[in-house]
Amino acid sequence: MIMNEVLLDIKGLHASVEGKEILHGVDLQIRRGEVHAVMGPNGAGKSTLSAVLTGRPGYEVTAGSVRFAGADLLAMSPEERSWAGLFLSFQYPIEIPGVSMTNFLKAAVSARRKAAGLPDLSAGEFLSLVKQKMALLKMKPEFAKREVNVGFSGGEKKRGEIFQMAMLEPVLSILDETDSGLDVDALKIVADGVNSLKTPQTSSIIITHYHKLLEYIVPDVVHVLKDGVIVKTGGKELADRIEAEGFEGIDG
Amino acid sequence: MDRLVVIGRDELPRKVVLGAGESLRLTVVVPQGVSADIDFTAELTGPGADLDLAGVFVPAGSDTVRIRTLVRHLSGSCRSNQLFRGVADGQSQVSFNGLIYVQRDAQKTEAYQSCNTLLLNEGARVETDPQLEIYADDVVCSHGAAIGYLSEDELFYMRSRGIPFEQARRLQILSFLSPVLSRLPEEYYSLIAF
Amino acid sequence: MDEALKEITSKQYKEGFVTDVEQEYVPKGLSEQIIRQISAIKQEPEWLLEFRLDAFRKWQKMTPPTWGHLDLPEIDFQDIIYYAAPKKDSERPKEIDPALQETFDKLGIPLSEREVLAGVKSKVAVDAVFDSVSVTTTFRKVLAEKGIIFCSFSEAVREHPDLVRKYLATVVPSGDNFYAALNSAVFSDGSFCYIPKGVKCPMDLSSYFRINASGTGQFERTLIVADEGSQVSYMEGCTAPMRDEHQLHAAVVEIIVEAGADVRYSTVQNWYPGDENGRGGILNLVTKRGICRGEGAHLSWTQVETGSAITWKYPSTILKGDNSSSEFYSVALTNNYQQADTGTKMIHLGRGTKSRIVSKGISAGHSQNSYRGLVRMNSGAAGARNYSQCDSLLIGSLCGAHTFPVIQNACPGAIVEHEATTSKISEDQLFYCNQRGIAPEEAVGLIVNGYAKEVLSRLPMEFAVEAQKLLSVSLEGSIG
Repeated sequence: MIMNEVLLDIKGLHASVEGKEILHGVDLQIRRGEVHAVMGPNGAGKSTLSAVLTGRPGYEVTAGSVRFAGADLLAMSPEERSWAGLFLSFQYPIEIPGVSMTNFLKAAVSARRKAAGLPDLSAGEFLSLVKQKMALLKMKPEFAKREVNVGFSGGEKKRGEIFQMAMLEPVLSILDETDSGLDVDALKIVADGVNSLKTPQTSSIIITHYHKLLEYIVPDVVHVLKDGVIVKTGGKELADRIEAEGFEGIDG
Repeated sequence: MDRLVVIGRDELPRKVVLGAGESLRLTVVVPQGVSADIDFTAELTGPGADLDLAGVFVPAGSDTVRIRTLVRHLSGSCRSNQLFRGVADGQSQVSFNGLIYVQRDAQKTEAYQSCNTLLLNEGARVETDPQLEIYADDVVCSHGAAIGYLSEDELFYMRSRGIPFEQARRLQILSFLSPVLSRLPEEYYSLIAF
Repeated sequence: MDEALKEITSKQYKEGFVTDVEQEYVPKGLSEQIIRQISAIKQEPEWLLEFRLDAFRKWQKMTPPTWGHLDLPEIDFQDIIYYAAPKKDSERPKEIDPALQETFDKLGIPLSEREVLAGVKSKVAVDAVFDSVSVTTTFRKVLAEKGIIFCSFSEAVREHPDLVRKYLATVVPSGDNFYAALNSAVFSDGSFCYIPKGVKCPMDLSSYFRINASGTGQFERTLIVADEGSQVSYMEGCTAPMRDEHQLHAAVVEIIVEAGADVRYSTVQNWYPGDENGRGGILNLVTKRGICRGEGAHLSWTQVETGSAITWKYPSTILKGDNSSSEFYSVALTNNYQQADTGTKMIHLGRGTKSRIVSKGISAGHSQNSYRGLVRMNSGAAGARNYSQCDSLLIGSLCGAHTFPVIQNACPGAIVEHEATTSKISEDQLFYCNQRGIAPEEAVGLIVNGYAKEVLSRLPMEFAVEAQKLLSVSLEGSIG
């Protein structure tokens, strides 16, 4: 395997929530083009890791560093991280009543283009982009008119997240428990979407505690996070072993 | 602390102060045939103070029921809940005035109030003034008030199942009052005769 | 959130310019003499002068209401100029002064019918009021062909005195309240609108109120009459220059809706709100009321309030006709040191009458924002229904949001329901937007517009777009 440039470099990351330390020193390196899975039991700190990387308020980094495409990620605001190409598919997508998916994404795409020094898209260009990405994910056109996540089923919310991911074309996507609440058909559509967005320049982190999604999105590297540290790193076979034996037997 | 006050039998304190971590669960009953003039203030002065206030009133004839509540959130991280249910029959007059006040910096306040009343007769009068006065932003506050009458559809539904008119009406009223009645021992139901 | 949102960009109120035009005034102060002078300038009939003087005598015995949740500065009523009008060019009295034309152009108000007909501007007839006089009313001829009267109040008094006399002060009596009495005594111009039986007004009607002169107050009077089975959509807009002193705006709006008629009244209020330290701004103390007189009449109020230093305003409906209905949809946004005490009254007299109240308050900065309402079911209102939903949104920890509804029911066949909630913008929503690359200020604008959508969507199209922009702009500098 050709060793690509390092995209994300996490060193000795400690983080706490409401004064309680959840991550006790996480080291993780992701190169361009790679798919990493982070697995672990409930309460291991998986979602804390995604929250810290995206700069969610309430999560405090107490030690360590994170470099993203060479820049100091932790010094950036959440929207700057987004502009730099970081995308989080939320475990629990947030409802924004009264705001249509189209208007929401128009604001997001415009802000990102502005940050990149690109001219704004015309309404026509934007709408054809929406159509194209929706076709990719086999979504009905009405979807774009609905209010962001309001009244969505669990599956619709997750597909909505992947649709936004397609629109924003991130460099690094973090899929936080994207498989929870999805039936097999929805899981396949989501996985197909993620796979079709994959390029040699972009990477993903799949956070999950199930094996299922990893059958459709095959990871290059699998990490096991337990009690706030990565206890084991391996290939796809590690996920298979977890499927068979559970997290109990896996220790550093 | 859990307290039950029957107006006309027990004394209702005009004011209670709940400090940090203190809680009070207070249920007030205004029995039929009793006119009541209630003026109640609660001050929540320390984090974790919790007021759970409920009241039921069933005036008839020429009864008048006046209720004024003032719940003052003077400290953050307190919770208050007020739940009132009443039915007004005869020529009775009901007025409910409830104010939730949340002081500046009383963040993480949760305050709720609900007062629903049914009018059973042409001559009865009900006025409710639920009020919110809020000076802190990190709060969840709500109030709701409704004044209505017994649903004819519901009544018809029960009668079509063979439940006689009077009993169906009684059931409807009980079901309407049940959020408060469920806090009372059953022997108190007799105070609320229909 | 506070840290992420520290960036403060105080924006300019873009309508805050002054038009340099020669004006004529009556002397400062209020007396019988001043009222006689205003009436004389307007060449009014004797009955109207009597109406004014009667109102003035009532006003002298009244005191300003103090029940609002407002810290109202003391108003010196002798220190106000009650009439100011741009001078007419005596050689060309029929033409609009180019400076005024330019002012309304700048404000985006189409005074030229040609532009509208060419499709440059949306099809709407405008009565443009500058200080105390109406500058022009467009599309009068087109409307007249259908029997619709749309003109300035002063012209209506001259040309349709019987109609004015029949309806004036029938909904808001001259002694109704302190500010309504003041208006009845000194009102200058405003709009008059009459839609005959069975006529559907072919275009939206609108009035645009512009305060320009300093030291003056604006006291406009609007009267809308929708005869049986008619339909009209009416819009009102307003702006004023930025000044360090307060200016008083005390208007009266009366709407009469006959059986089967339908009136939709929309306001986007963008008076100068004062600066970020609470200096200056319009004191907006207004009485608006309509009556659904006949069976099945319908009156709908939609208001978006972003402007004025102090707002005291309760567009209300008397539901007299059986099965008549009314709605009040309101968004009131206050920032900096603004204060708003606004809401509605729904008085149900007729059987089967229906009303609905949706109020969305948004408070930011040091502002105070109150909803005040009254819903009354009289004993004859069998089968009447009201539903009210009043939500408040707080942005920042120094503002206040209050809800003061009064609900009275004297009818066992009527149902009133009221719900209110108060909350702040959720950090989760904000973070979700940030994660998608939408910066905090823009995210707040987006979320607030979403929050207000139920109301905004009821405005006529062009008004809605304007209102959305206004909400975002008015919030600038609110977060930090």
